[in-house]
Order: sequence, then C-alpha cells, then structure tokens
Amino acid sequence: MKKFFLLLAFATIFMAQANAQKYGTRKGTITFDSDTNMEKIHAVNNTVSAVIDAKSKKLQFAVLIKGFQFKKALMQEHFNENYMESSKFPKATFKGEIVDGDVNFVQIGSYDAKVKGKLTIHGVTKDVTVPVKIEMSKAGAHSTATFKVVLADYGIKIPSLVKNKIAKEVTIKVDATLPMLLKRNK
Amino acid sequence: MKKVLIVLLGLAILGGIGGYFLWNKPHQDVASAKADVIFTADHLLNAFETDENAANAKYLDKIIKVNGVIKDIENNDSGEISVILATDNEMSSVICNFAPDFGDTQKLKSGDEIVIKGLCSGYLMDVVLDRCALAQK
Repeated sequence: MKKFFLLLAFATIFMAQANAQKYGTRKGTITFDSDTNMEKIHAVNNTVSAVIDAKSKKLQFAVLIKGFQFKKALMQEHFNENYMESSKFPKATFKGEIVDGDVNFVQIGSYDAKVKGKLTIHGVTKDVTVPVKIEMSKAGAHSTATFKVVLADYGIKIPSLVKNKIAKEVTIKVDATLPMLLKRNK
Repeated sequence: MKKVLIVLLGLAILGGIGGYFLWNKPHQDVASAKADVIFTADHLLNAFETDENAANAKYLDKIIKVNGVIKDIENNDSGEISVILATDNEMSSVICNFAPDFGDTQKLKSGDEIVIKGLCSGYLMDVVLDRCALAQK
C-alpha cells in the first residue's frame, strides 16, 4: 500500500513536470553581421520572442525587423527601407521542431541538437535546418544558434553600386534564455 | 578651362562634405521630437490586437507617446533597459526599449505611473517601442 502511494506521488510529480514543460521569453537576442573587406555591418535586436514546447519539441521564434539597432542611422534606414522593406514585412519568424539530438529538458546540462523548420524573412519562406545548442539550467533553456542566410534566397536585392559592401551571405546569431513558463492553476 | 575645373573641384568637395554628414547622420532624437500619437498602454495594445495590419500601416516608425503603469523592468546583456507596461491582457503588454544612454531610467520601479515616447517597431506578443525616452505628461 505504501508503495502504491509512493508511486502515485512520483506519478503526480512527473505529470506536473510534463504539463509545465513550456519555455518562453520575449527578451531574446538576435544579431546580424555582414562582413566584407569594404565594410563590416552589425546590428542587434534584443526583443526576440521565443517559445519551446519540451513535450512536442516544437519551437517558434519571432523578431521585429524595425527593432534591429545599427550604429549608423543611415545603415538602419537602408536596411529597413531598401533591403528588408520592413513596413511591408515587419517580422521574421521561424517555426519548427527539434529533430536531432536528445535534449533532456528536465536534466541540467548542455545539449547539441538540430532544429528543422520554416524560416520566413522578407515575406519569403524557406525550409532550413540549423544546429542549436540548448543548455538547461535553473534559469531555463539557454538556446544559441549561429547560421548563415543567403540574401538572394529571400528575394533581398542588393544594388550593384554597393555590391562589394554588403555580404551575399549574412551571419545570424540567436541567443535566448527561455525560463519555464508556469501554467496558471485554474 | 581653369574656371570649370575649380567649379568642379568645389562641387566635389561640397559633395564630399554632404556625403560625410549623411553618412554620420545621427539617429532620430526621440526625446526632443514631437509625438505623432498619444495612447494609453491598453489602447495601443488593443489597436494591434484588433487589426494588426491596419495598426502597422498607421503606427510603424511613428513616435508614440504612451502612458501606463510599469509592470516590470528588465536589463539585458548589453546594459539596455526595457520597461514593460501593464495592460488588461495578462499575456501581452507594451515593451519599451530605452536608448542606451538614458541614465534617468535608474529611478524607475514597478508600479510607477509613467509616460514614455518611443518609435513603434511593431507587434509580436507585445507591442514594441524602440529608442525610448521618458516624456512629460
């Protein structure tokens, strides 16, 4: 009988965990780097929304293009108006799932994995697979990823005049700590 | 002939100076700019929740003056401060990212009533205002 109650207690704890396994933030960071011999361009966005569902291994990231901050106002203006057309396409999003690697969300540790899904930039959606690192700690799921994006793939045209100043392939870095989202008790 | 050369040289120098200033053009100074629209945090969020596309068309890149109550203040890794304004909706809010050199944000605390000016970047889970500054009522 005692064993039964112990089992029940364990089962309850386990279920509570399984229920609460959603992680999310609205304060993630994405940086953008374009490196050529002529010019280095760097921008940061610190208001990235992200949600990971540990149970289904599905995840979503979203960022507002206008939120990218450049050192030079002129670069920011060109980025928004000429290249990203951010008034027409205000967001970039990623929706996908963890496909490779055994990420144990209830065990503190560092996990290498891959996420596969749909990346939408400049109104164009592409299938991508990106390696990610997920570090589980008391603070939540710290997720980092670095990948390259070919501008032409997303219909972003660079005028020939500045061709040498803007990389054809830009580097995107994602860095976000997602605390566990607590489910509200009804 | 010489005159033409001098004129051309003059134009080139002027162009160079103009280009230099354009290149180093400062970011828009939100603190001293006049607000395009004035909102409460609730109304601003409502506008985006009701019709995001219409709100985007109206408010993106505009200087928005918003008043509300501070729900939370967060520092990020790069030392910038984000003030999150409370709304009727518990899941969504208005996030105000302050420009890096706004020292007077130090005194702010949760529960304060506040007026903020910022550039509207759009709506994800929350409405996001960037390059924010404190404003007068």
